[in-house]
Amino acid sequence: MSGAALERVFRSASARIVGALAARLRDLATAEDAFSEACARALEDWSVGGVPGDPAAWLYQVAMRVALDGLRRRKTHARFESQLSAQFDAQPAPAEDSTAIPDERLRLIFICCHPAVRVDARAALTLRLVCGLSTLEIARAFLVSETTMAQRLTRAKSKIAEAGVPFEVPTAQFWPERLDSVLVTIEIAYAKAHEDAAGSGPHAHFAAEMLELTQTLVHLLPTEAEPAALAAMVRFAEGRRPARVDHTGLMIPLSEQDPQLWQRSLIDDGNGYLRRALAIDPHSPRVIQAQIHAAWCARTDLQEPPPWPAVLAFYDLLLSRRDDPVVRLNRVVAAAEVRGVESALCDLQELDQALFRDFAPYHAVRAELLRRAGRREAALQAYDEALAIIGSPAERHWLMRQKESLLMNDHP
Amino acid sequence: MQYALLIYEDESAFGPGKAGPKLQQVVGRHVEFTRDLGAKRVGGAGLKATSSATTVRTTKGKQSIHDGPFAESKEQLGGFYVIEAPDLDAAIAIARKVPLLEDGAIEVRPLLGPG
Repeated sequence: MSGAALERVFRSASARIVGALAARLRDLATAEDAFSEACARALEDWSVGGVPGDPAAWLYQVAMRVALDGLRRRKTHARFESQLSAQFDAQPAPAEDSTAIPDERLRLIFICCHPAVRVDARAALTLRLVCGLSTLEIARAFLVSETTMAQRLTRAKSKIAEAGVPFEVPTAQFWPERLDSVLVTIEIAYAKAHEDAAGSGPHAHFAAEMLELTQTLVHLLPTEAEPAALAAMVRFAEGRRPARVDHTGLMIPLSEQDPQLWQRSLIDDGNGYLRRALAIDPHSPRVIQAQIHAAWCARTDLQEPPPWPAVLAFYDLLLSRRDDPVVRLNRVVAAAEVRGVESALCDLQELDQALFRDFAPYHAVRAELLRRAGRREAALQAYDEALAIIGSPAERHWLMRQKESLLMNDHP
Repeated sequence: MQYALLIYEDESAFGPGKAGPKLQQVVGRHVEFTRDLGAKRVGGAGLKATSSATTVRTTKGKQSIHDGPFAESKEQLGGFYVIEAPDLDAAIAIARKVPLLEDGAIEVRPLLGPG
């Protein structure tokens, strides 16, 4: 097996094994270290003796032994360790079969996404422990050095241990807040993939991880609407990816994307998840958001009018359920198409300017509306404000082009 | 009257890897101090570092949970409870119920274990 193939085996086994170890050891750092050590031993052993029939079961066995040896050496937790050893030894030889590894991924997800962990650390920890990404990969996506990311992950794990974050799936009373924290974490992780329109940057393979993670979450929480809605949204957004950028690397706005370039199979999957979510709770905010995506993805070619009236109606419904500044901004974009640019500019005026100062999409929306309203100077200034903070190259390219078209029109 | 003595120090001096004669000495002095206080000591405990803290903040009647200690803004320390809870979720659930007149924050900080 090649190095890359082994890497894939380790990555796909990571969440199952680290989750199962953490649930038993009640310690993330020990579980993670033991799994890393098991992977290192696998590299040596397997190159000599060949890859075992069930690599995940092998890794789990070795990691559990490593963890127990570690505890034994430290001579702390003596009673706990002997209990664990006894339990472990009592198991009927699970080495042959990875189905014997308890599925503790949901626990692991809830621990990583606990609200007592810093928001950005939650996403990083989930990518590391649940998706099995390396610290370096996560560091690149979050635009920090590997050392900084390693420190952030260590701090988060130590917070979880020191503060007594429970290693349990929360009980019903904590459910709403805790599930929301999980979904927000996945949204942040996915946003890292989505920011990069071309999908060629350091976040490229995040998208695949997010497809899998959302699928897992729906599987583990089959009676909840919002995980299914999130799974739908990730698929709709990924399905549109091939049309988001042209061959020159220029961003294509959603309403100008050629639906024939979209990946229908992903969109169909998205619609499947959406139907499931709608059957559970059609009024929850993420289900409404997923319907906005679905309205766009229902377009089959550019000749069809864009679904702006439906989109505007969904945004109004969404705001009645959950007020959110970014949703308000998106609503302004839809309102401009349905009710006209001047009315949308008035709506924009009512938003909290201070909140959006460092938010490039706000300045981009403002620039576009001002350009279309014929207010050249104000528009140019807004383009500059957006360009000063925009990160993605495809979007920068598009903003530059819009700004240039404005300059050219004035001096034909 | 009863009084609370709230100890403020640079916590980095107590961090991991700081064990040594200096730390041992101050622990010894705490033991001695406790003994001298005798019945005058009603209660007390060491706290884990602020990196283990979680804050339940109430703003305009809405509660939210944050990583980290209370960040000083317009509120001042007004009291404390010591509670027994099986884990952080249970502690946060109790912290949410601590009465507040208006806005405010409850910092949830684990106590140092015995020894």
